[in-house]
Amino acid sequence: MAKGYRYFEAIEKHAGKLGIFTAIMVSIGGLAEITPLFVEAHAITAAEGVKPYDPLRLAGKDIYVREGCYLCHTQMIRSLRAETQRYGDYSVSSESVYDRPHQWGSKRTGPDLARVGGKYSDDWQRLHLMDPRAVVGESNMPGYPWLADEPVDAADIVARMRTLKRLGDPYTDADIAAAPEALDGRTAMDALVAYLQGLGVRPDAEAAP
Amino acid sequence: MNGFWSLWVMGLVVLNAGITFFLFVWAQKVEIPVLPDGTTGHVWAHGVLREGLRRLPRWWVFASASFFVWGVGYLLLFPGFGGFKGLLGWSSHAQHAADVAVNEANIAELKARFAKMSPEDLAANPVAIRIGERLFIDNCAACHQRDARGNPLLGAPNLVDASWHWGGDTASITTSILEGRQGLMPPLGSLGADTVTDLAHYVLSLSGAPHDPARAAAGEPQFALCSACHGPTGEGNPVLGAPSLVDSSWTWGKGDLAMIEHVITDGVSGVMPAWKGRLGTDETRVIIAWLRSQAGDRLAMTGR
Repeated sequence: MAKGYRYFEAIEKHAGKLGIFTAIMVSIGGLAEITPLFVEAHAITAAEGVKPYDPLRLAGKDIYVREGCYLCHTQMIRSLRAETQRYGDYSVSSESVYDRPHQWGSKRTGPDLARVGGKYSDDWQRLHLMDPRAVVGESNMPGYPWLADEPVDAADIVARMRTLKRLGDPYTDADIAAAPEALDGRTAMDALVAYLQGLGVRPDAEAAP
Repeated sequence: MNGFWSLWVMGLVVLNAGITFFLFVWAQKVEIPVLPDGTTGHVWAHGVLREGLRRLPRWWVFASASFFVWGVGYLLLFPGFGGFKGLLGWSSHAQHAADVAVNEANIAELKARFAKMSPEDLAANPVAIRIGERLFIDNCAACHQRDARGNPLLGAPNLVDASWHWGGDTASITTSILEGRQGLMPPLGSLGADTVTDLAHYVLSLSGAPHDPARAAAGEPQFALCSACHGPTGEGNPVLGAPSLVDSSWTWGKGDLAMIEHVITDGVSGVMPAWKGRLGTDETRVIIAWLRSQAGDRLAMTGR
């Protein structure tokens, strides 16, 4: 039986071997949990009514990411009764196929935004982004007043649409050609408000009774 | 998850559990050589630290064994072992549906009881108004504020005074909540800044607010333009959502001249979003009950 001990000793006394075997054991979990989802994610298709972002909302989505909104807000309603009662139907992955990167998350300081579209008026969203405490006295969200003075860079959005098209998002050449006109004179604030007002809104799906 | 990836996960789970279980059983049987001084001969720090030899504590062996039992039991009962759904057939979506059903059953009696009550009785029911207040804070307070006194920066009206843009009876308020409202005050800046100021003074005079009488008199003839929506005497029109200008309730601002001039010059378009996708009629009734309980005598709400 002392023979078996040699194997233990060989690993225990050599940090390199110990590290390698530890890495192998730990990576089994990752291979089982991450790899299949990584591959199967490409098989998910858009839910009914979920369309690629129009140019203004696409610009808004990138501002949302740039300003770090995801640090406090999730866009993932979990399938828990208390959450669906407050925020609406639970989120499914086919709703966020055009989000690169997706804005799910598990850490909230502010409320979930997956279905905030249409909940408040455009004026409310604008005022709230300028000065959150003008509408919600107890809010601890920072204001983003500079967005109102920042123009949207149409050339940048056109380039992003081309890239997304290459990645498989169904933009047509006409969509991309129409982008500069749709973005003309628009500010980052307009873009972010348009993005927020579209969150969770699926016109085609709502048409069903 | 089916086919290859299911087998992939199953294989890795069996591999991982197998290695771990083998080590758990085998490691306890391995005989460890002991030196005469009672240590294994492993030394660190130039002999300052030496590894002694003790049997694994029984509690540790028992705890580890129970983790294996727990793990196997979990994978048998719940989804996790590749494509195998588990013997319980549990899913998070089915669990959610069951939780919702339990909640619906819990409040069914309450809903049925509330449905039979008149709006007045509902407003006097402490349970109804407590629920109504929660719903109001969740859904309405972002614009109308927690005390329902509105937000003059946003044109969100005060809901506990006697002034109602779209009608203050229960039916009109229910429609306002469920279907939403869209106000439209067109911009009239083309009248010129002087005329706008005259009009603003006349508007102030309608409710007896401090104003310049000479300018108000100059503005009065111009008010014909406004009367199409606000009525010849400025009493408002609930069909159009044109607010009354003769009461002391203000939607935009608090009766200050500069804000009235801005509203006339640039126009405003207050939006009340439709809530029918988020609130049902039962919820709407208890929200109105809470409003009624807050407003007391000031409220014009009548009828069903």
